[in-house]
Amino acid sequence: MPPLPDPNGVFLNIPYDEEFSSLYVAYIVGLCQLDLVPHLASEIPGGDRRLNRIFKLIQSCRYSIHDLSRVELSVAPTAVPRFNMPLELGMTIAWANLHPSRQTWFVWESEPYRLQRSASDLNGTDPCIHNGTAEGVLRELRNAFHRDKMPSAPDMLGVYRFVNNQLNAILLRNGTSNPYDRSVFMELCRLSNYLTEILRHTKPAV
Amino acid sequence: MRKPIHITAPRPTLEEWAKHFPISKASEKALQALVDEFKAMHSNRGNEPVSSIEPEKRRKRASAA
Repeated sequence: MPPLPDPNGVFLNIPYDEEFSSLYVAYIVGLCQLDLVPHLASEIPGGDRRLNRIFKLIQSCRYSIHDLSRVELSVAPTAVPRFNMPLELGMTIAWANLHPSRQTWFVWESEPYRLQRSASDLNGTDPCIHNGTAEGVLRELRNAFHRDKMPSAPDMLGVYRFVNNQLNAILLRNGTSNPYDRSVFMELCRLSNYLTEILRHTKPAV
Repeated sequence: MRKPIHITAPRPTLEEWAKHFPISKASEKALQALVDEFKAMHSNRGNEPVSSIEPEKRRKRASAA
């Protein structure tokens, strides 16, 4: 049996594509502002088989978010459906069914009712609908999680905008154009945490 | 719609954040500069929500003035 999960850990199962990067930043900023610790498959070093590493990460997190908003076919000429996110959701559901006290999962979508068509086996699950916007991601995070002394919604949005404005500089500094790189992810998390601390000490929480 | 999950676990400490997300000294320094910029913006605006003091908006306000 693996050790107990991090009670603040959230496994993020999201698409790693350029168009999704602003929502990716919103997930990181929003979770950090709720004092939840985001985790991505890209942060774990190689060695073991990738699927095993992902499963260990899922087991190490108390919560998981599975964003199925990008279910369309990838760009031609390859044009294949994107199975990674549903696959990782399936692994998570199996783990949560075996150990419900160790894992709570959420499905996120951009469009209402599409989940019923794309994955009808999930009927009965209320997806969080973010409408494909960063504001929607932050709103749904606040709907999904509650913590005493949370920052206000406008403050969360303000921190998101500040961090998102810094993304290009962070990419440049890390010598990459990929916002999902481990080093970029680490910096985004640390910056979000620092800014959350500043707000906590200067503004009344709600 | 389900109720939000009420998180009661203690917040991670700064040391725990650093352990989760290790970064180089150079990155740490660069982030500190951003933190200082954010602090300056924030202190200039008092209790105004920080969403209204984003750099883009500040630039627009400055150019309109």
